[in-house]
Amino acid sequence: MSGRPGWIQEAWRVALIIAIALAIGLALDQVEWCLLLALLAYTIRNVYNLHRLADWVVDTEATDAPIHFGLWGDIYSRIARVSRRQAQRERRLTTLLTEYKSSTSALPDAAVALDNEGRIRWFNESASRLLRLQTAKDIGQPLLNLLRAPDFVEFLKTSKPGASLQMPAPGDSTRQLEIRITAYGEDQRLLLAQDITERLQQERMRKDFVANVSHELRTPLTVISGFIENLQASPGTAEPRLRRPLELMEQQAARMRQIVEDLLLLARLESESAPSVFEVVVVGDMLSSIAEDCAGLREDVPAIGCEIETDCHLRGDEKQLRSAVMNLVVNAVNHTPADGSVTIRWKVSDGEGFLSVEDTGEGIAAEHLPRLTERFYRVDAGRSRERGGTGLGLAIVKHILSRHDASLEVDSKPGRGSTFTCVFKGARLVCEPPESTVTEGSTMKHSAQEKTASRRTYG
Amino acid sequence: MDSDDFKHHYSQQFNAELEQVRSRVLTMGGLVEKQLSMAIDALHHGRSDPAEDVVSNDYKVNACDVEIDELCTNILALRKPNASDLRLVLAVIKITADLERIGDEAKRVARMAIRAASGDHGRNLYGQIAHLGSQVQGMLHRVLDAFARLDVDGAIGVAHEDVNIDREYESLMRQSMTYMMEDPRSIPYVLDLIWASRSLERIGDRCCNISEYIIYFVKGKDVRHTSLEQIRKEFG
Repeated sequence: MSGRPGWIQEAWRVALIIAIALAIGLALDQVEWCLLLALLAYTIRNVYNLHRLADWVVDTEATDAPIHFGLWGDIYSRIARVSRRQAQRERRLTTLLTEYKSSTSALPDAAVALDNEGRIRWFNESASRLLRLQTAKDIGQPLLNLLRAPDFVEFLKTSKPGASLQMPAPGDSTRQLEIRITAYGEDQRLLLAQDITERLQQERMRKDFVANVSHELRTPLTVISGFIENLQASPGTAEPRLRRPLELMEQQAARMRQIVEDLLLLARLESESAPSVFEVVVVGDMLSSIAEDCAGLREDVPAIGCEIETDCHLRGDEKQLRSAVMNLVVNAVNHTPADGSVTIRWKVSDGEGFLSVEDTGEGIAAEHLPRLTERFYRVDAGRSRERGGTGLGLAIVKHILSRHDASLEVDSKPGRGSTFTCVFKGARLVCEPPESTVTEGSTMKHSAQEKTASRRTYG
Repeated sequence: MDSDDFKHHYSQQFNAELEQVRSRVLTMGGLVEKQLSMAIDALHHGRSDPAEDVVSNDYKVNACDVEIDELCTNILALRKPNASDLRLVLAVIKITADLERIGDEAKRVARMAIRAASGDHGRNLYGQIAHLGSQVQGMLHRVLDAFARLDVDGAIGVAHEDVNIDREYESLMRQSMTYMMEDPRSIPYVLDLIWASRSLERIGDRCCNISEYIIYFVKGKDVRHTSLEQIRKEFG
């Protein structure tokens, strides 16, 4: 191809044709006919070239342009350039897509993309393994046709953000899956399923281990504290040199026993499923009796106030609720100086029940709040131990509350005091006067009360 | 045939109705699957709570049955379907009837589980029954999958499995008889277990029926009362 642009070449060519035609026409004295013939020939050539172009464009194999000259040559080379560029882009996209696909299929978790009607658009290899989806057949199928478990149907229909569902793998009930759903794009959803069988097994092993160890420690501890008591009572050890060590030994043995008891209680709370039927707990009575019990804890107890602002009662396990509130109140009392005050409050607002324990103690710094309910988490290790805490109280509270569909909220400022609030759902409240407030409850109340009242006075 | 076949109608509404009725059947299937697995679990572990849930939840299965029948009646009356659409509706009516009965059998198993849980006797046969139960459960799961995927091979596979179920059932029967002969005091509870395994065996038969309806719907050929070999030869 020459350096000149195609259209100039083409113009020269047309001029040349006309000139030749003119020359021949003049020679034969047939100018009109010659011109007409020349132009006709030029048009026929162009139509033929158009036809060739049309063929060449669809022919994917042809790479070489048939014409390299003139305007037609330009057209061919430009089309060739565009299609080359396109082919490159296509290759790039294909490699990107294959990389993406192979990386998602390497994911250990199952991923399924759903369209707005809940049909399967795409899924990875793990999904065919964990959810038993079949590659070709299941694209376009509504997912609920294949995962039919009623719990899952309900979960997919409501699909709250951040919620997850635990269910046995379809067709293999020995494996447990955890399923999450995320929204993406327009009306599309991504379902992620993770095999958590091993994790659950480990969790169970850990729980069993803690429960077993606690149980095994109980007997030796009883023996040790029994002998300590014996030694203290026997006249031979009245020697003052031994009195202090024995006292410390007794205190520490009691503390260990308390920790073991708390661990066992936690293990029990974790393993037992929540009962479906609950008795009605008269919250007002329970709170005032707790306040009374706590007032006798020590000599320098701060003033404990009890504010019952509603007649509503709670559906729940009285013994457990009492133990939870007791833990909160004892904590409050332990962290409040004698001239401060502790207030237990029970009120209902916006259909939810709020049971709060407020103190004017030293308060808790914000960075500790998220970890407060962890086992053995201590804001200030030395201090709380010397006050006899086991480090398990709030973990127990949290477990008891979760068995009652309730949550624990903590609000605290260092130096001003803390408020621990148990928030109970409306469904748990009983706001008409109950016909019979379970009478057994009151006898049980007594034993529970003695046990819990004494629990934190050790040491 | 694949699920795209539901999209060939000019009336979007009709397509949606056919899709819906199929999905409802599978939802009902999921419910029945859960009922069955809870009942078997209760029997195996001797717990009465889940068994009582099964008994009290049976009304949900029945409600599904009624609802799907109504959907089918509406389609028949308003759309006058023909060819594969008609076969779908007919198959659905029959499948729901069988699913409903599977639900009833699950309830029966649950009742036996409640009785077994209250008694205090050896659990020699429970392991066997649990094995039979898990086989039947797998069968129900696979036949519903075959219906979702319109998978003839899967349906034939399920029909084939029934042979194993029958064999398992027979060996259970023989074992029960020896238990009863050994210790006549065990007769009441062994009888309960026989009833439960009988129910499970019936569920296997009903899964077989469902697989025949699937073949009927997909291939347009009635294969009831034909031998397995013949079906295999024709479609396998």
